[in-house]
Amino acid sequence: MSQLLGTLKQRASAFISLFKRSPTLIVGVALLSLIIFLAIFAPIIDQYRLEGHKATDLGYFEKFLPPSLKHPLGTDHFGRDVLGLHLTGLKFSLIVGALAGSVATLISVCIAVIAGYRGGIIDSILNGVTNSVLVIPSLPILIVVAYYTRLDLVGMCLTLAAFSWPWSTRVIRAQVLTLKERTFVDLARVSGQNGFEIMFAEILPNLIPYIIVGLGFSVIGAIFAETGLRIIGLGPPTVVSLGLLLQQALQYGLLTQKRYAEVMSMILLLISIFISLNLINKGMDEAFNPRLKKVTGQ
Amino acid sequence: MVKISGFAIFILKKVLIYTVTLFLAFTLVFWVLRLIPGDPWSRFVDNLRILAIDPQISREFIEGYKRKFGLDKDIFTQYILYLSNLFLRFDLGISIASYPTPVQVVIMRSLPWSIGLLAICVLISWSIGIVAGAFIGWKHRSKLSSAMFTIALGMSQIPYFIMAILLIMILAYGFGLFPGRWAFSPSVTPGLNPAFILSVIRHGFLPALSIVVTSFLGWLVSTRALTMTILGEDYLLFAEAKGLKKIRMLNRYVLRNLLLPQATGLAISLGYVVNGAYVVEYIFQYPGVGTLLIHSFRFLDYNLAQGIIFVTMFTVLTANLIMDFLYPLIDPRVRTQGK
Repeated sequence: MSQLLGTLKQRASAFISLFKRSPTLIVGVALLSLIIFLAIFAPIIDQYRLEGHKATDLGYFEKFLPPSLKHPLGTDHFGRDVLGLHLTGLKFSLIVGALAGSVATLISVCIAVIAGYRGGIIDSILNGVTNSVLVIPSLPILIVVAYYTRLDLVGMCLTLAAFSWPWSTRVIRAQVLTLKERTFVDLARVSGQNGFEIMFAEILPNLIPYIIVGLGFSVIGAIFAETGLRIIGLGPPTVVSLGLLLQQALQYGLLTQKRYAEVMSMILLLISIFISLNLINKGMDEAFNPRLKKVTGQ
Repeated sequence: MVKISGFAIFILKKVLIYTVTLFLAFTLVFWVLRLIPGDPWSRFVDNLRILAIDPQISREFIEGYKRKFGLDKDIFTQYILYLSNLFLRFDLGISIASYPTPVQVVIMRSLPWSIGLLAICVLISWSIGIVAGAFIGWKHRSKLSSAMFTIALGMSQIPYFIMAILLIMILAYGFGLFPGRWAFSPSVTPGLNPAFILSVIRHGFLPALSIVVTSFLGWLVSTRALTMTILGEDYLLFAEAKGLKKIRMLNRYVLRNLLLPQATGLAISLGYVVNGAYVVEYIFQYPGVGTLLIHSFRFLDYNLAQGIIFVTMFTVLTANLIMDFLYPLIDPRVRTQGK
């Protein structure tokens, strides 16, 4: 028991020292937590604010109300509270990002570890596939799939993930290539561990910082790719993401009506997700790569 | 002899990957378009019914068109026919929405707009990015340069379409400086007259700017990293010891060594640039291939969609292949490594 408590304490202090090493990481995590908090609790707050209605319900309020205390961003052409709507959009965008980003990261970790560790012909093939997917313009294929299959939320995330894994695969594979030359891998090999154990028990834990960075980039990539697809007018209408809201805003001519605040609020929400994840990535870099910091002189 | 055979294997490998990728991507699109329940053609007919253009549309009508577009044969025959038409006669079939114009003719109307926009954007952002990146890398110890780098690093990942919306909002609607849609004003007659050319430039400014602003920052970031590795090389140390002028070192030693890897980077990034540019085209209603692709789905013209996707894949992958070939020819270091 005391031993368990000891490891826990050790873990906690390691965690705290991680934050101490990089203030950027703290800011990033704080910002991301705030965004996630907003997305989770907005519907609950909205229940009181919007008299028990969902933000996506059509025609409950008057159309085009100017900003007021009750509707801080006014109402839109369907009589929906714009603030509530945007927070719903934020929630769905985050869900898409998290789901598609994690699947993409999972794919890239598996491919990178296997390709990097095994080497030889397997590496050549997997590397060839990675480079091919990287080079292909994925948007046309995404459009085909999204248009003809009438995707739901999960299908959409999987499709996005199918094209967004190559970048982090390249980064992680490069790390595996250096890691497998280290002595602890030799030791594991000598002590009779099989390839699978070495890959996932010895090498994988050392990759965690890179995986987190890769995850951050994948999430950003997925959120933006989804937004792009929605702006074109594709994707499930039940998933009210920021992309869908942006598309509706453009389609109904919010810009010609000079309702800039609404468009800006959506863009700011998207950018703040992006900034928070970027700060976390930069913080991870600072915390785990002090050598890098010296080399680049930042 | 050994050297040549090593190079031959390298080329053979590249061509093989190129062919397989192009073939697989195209096959995927072909099958997805046909295997999904409710083929596009019946959807097209359904649409005619819904629009009540001809509510009593007859079977003969449908069958007649299916024969015309070769849809009465089974899917394997269609596939073989399509491939043979494509590779033997460079024929992409007939567009459904603008029947009876062949697909390649429809695409050729939009292609100049896309290529013009993209080529200008890519060239501008690439050259500005490299020069600025080399300079920032050169001065990497100064506070100002590292602050600029941090900003660039963050902003370089913002997608083009966000930039496009912001620019439309500020410059087109806010200040009314530039038009926010279309490639030229409807009041001018297309042709080689000054009014038309001026209109094209004015209309192209915002789409181009939204692509250039973010993508040049991307080049800046990668160039800075490359510059810093070059700064550590022996030949630069020697140049410095020799007392070469700074500007000559930057110009002759740093920039020259940057061009090669960045040219490859250009080829690799092309797919990404095309993705982003298609959405930007759509936002600006620019009459390029991207807008055409999105409209082709609206009008259920899957023949056109397929043609555009093929042309896009072919262009991007071929550009990559050419770059792969040129690289070892320009840079002897790669050639000797390849054996």
